[in-house]
Amino acid sequence: MIEFQNINYKINQKYILENINLTIAENEFVAIIGPNGAGKSTLIKILLSIISDYEGKVLIEGKRNTDWLKENRIGYLPQKEDFDRHFPASALELVLMGSAATKGLFRRFSKDDKKQAEQALDETGILPLKHQQIGSLSGGEWQRLLLARALLTGSKYLILDEPEAGIDKPGVTSFFDLLAVLHKQGKTIITISHDLHMLNKYCTFLVCLNRTLHCHTETDLLTAEHIHNTFGDAVKLIEKDY
Amino acid sequence: MLDYSFLIHALLGAILSGISLAILSPFVTLKKIAYMGEALSHIAFAGIALALLLSLNMTLTTVIFVLAVAGLIGFVSRFFQTEETNVITIFLSIAMALGIVLISLKKDYSFDLASYLFGSVLLINQADLWSLGVLAVLNTAFIVLLYKELFYLIYNMTVAEVFGIKVKTVYYAFLLLLALNIVISVKIAGIILVTAQLILPASIAFRIVKRLKPAIIISVIVSLVSSLAGFYLSWVFNLPTGAVIVLVEFLFYLISLLLTNSKRKS
Repeated sequence: MIEFQNINYKINQKYILENINLTIAENEFVAIIGPNGAGKSTLIKILLSIISDYEGKVLIEGKRNTDWLKENRIGYLPQKEDFDRHFPASALELVLMGSAATKGLFRRFSKDDKKQAEQALDETGILPLKHQQIGSLSGGEWQRLLLARALLTGSKYLILDEPEAGIDKPGVTSFFDLLAVLHKQGKTIITISHDLHMLNKYCTFLVCLNRTLHCHTETDLLTAEHIHNTFGDAVKLIEKDY
Repeated sequence: MLDYSFLIHALLGAILSGISLAILSPFVTLKKIAYMGEALSHIAFAGIALALLLSLNMTLTTVIFVLAVAGLIGFVSRFFQTEETNVITIFLSIAMALGIVLISLKKDYSFDLASYLFGSVLLINQADLWSLGVLAVLNTAFIVLLYKELFYLIYNMTVAEVFGIKVKTVYYAFLLLLALNIVISVKIAGIILVTAQLILPASIAFRIVKRLKPAIIISVIVSLVSSLAGFYLSWVFNLPTGAVIVLVEFLFYLISLLLTNSKRKS
């Protein structure tokens, strides 16, 4: 269970997030939606303790997130992972990042570690690309790589920041199909999304965010009014047909 | 019979400091902190000047001085919220100015600026060789033992932290090691050669290979060959050793640019 309690976050006296109270139960498939600049990524960064100068409390399984994260790993797929396109890493080397912490200092990756990393790559369907330079992967392959790395942590939580960015429509569908399988296997998934069509089909819980929380509800109960309250006029952009 | 031991000392010194810096070179260039290496070597100059003026132990004084200034740079850029690269460049110039002033304060000391810019490999003594040898071993051990942490921290420190990898500790340890290397090498190799030895070997290596481990090996080979060739040429033509080593290394860099470019076109 993940709980956000009275979260406020300001930059230069301006609220980015205001009075957020939110509880996410185990094995939900949560989508956080909202317009650009709504604070979606910020909320996730607070959860992951990448941002720490906020007010309020974040609890993971009853513990402060900072304490919980010291002992546990979380499967995080950042939206933009800044790296040099020529960075000398293969897909396999990047996936191994997921198990580097459990391995501990001074110890090298064993054959067994590599086998597990290959398994994760296989699970996300990109094992044949294991020796490929990471800079040469397509958007869809990259997301699958990040997912494999998140899986290798063994965490039951998967946190995704707009995974559909930079992938074509069929790619997004197959990626979400993959997430649905993982969800069935018991993972708790939290994803930021722009794509309302996807959400209807896959998500079990919806969080509408625009600085403040507009709704947090089972997906079935989502009404047009909720969406309008969150997005305002921007909603027209989202209702396009595929 | 002529005593050639000073020559052998010089050669060993050039090779050892070259190897030490070349091992770190791929990490320094990938993490894009080459400018920090340059700044540290200039700051080391002020530290050396301070040690000369007050007749203190040179290595120890310079290490402490460099670390103090590096800490100050970090503090100033965070506390006053200014761009770190600007602060580093400012401190770099200040350190050079301070170094020159400090040295001019030391009466009856004939100061040779060129030897601090390009080192004085011919003045290397046995103690210097020992510290360089220890440094080469230390660098190798550090890279071997903490390879995976270093790899992920140069890839992306924030993400590595989220995945629970102890990158911060390792990064500070790396910077400490880098400072130590620079301080010890500056005395022998000089400011310019230290900066060149930190960035050129890896720049050449990454033109040739696309993986980190082979790049480390190629960096070391490049540095070794340039040191030997530069040393030989400087001896034969009676030229300043450090400067010739830099020029030889630059020649290799040019060749690597041209060769890999034609490979990409064909």
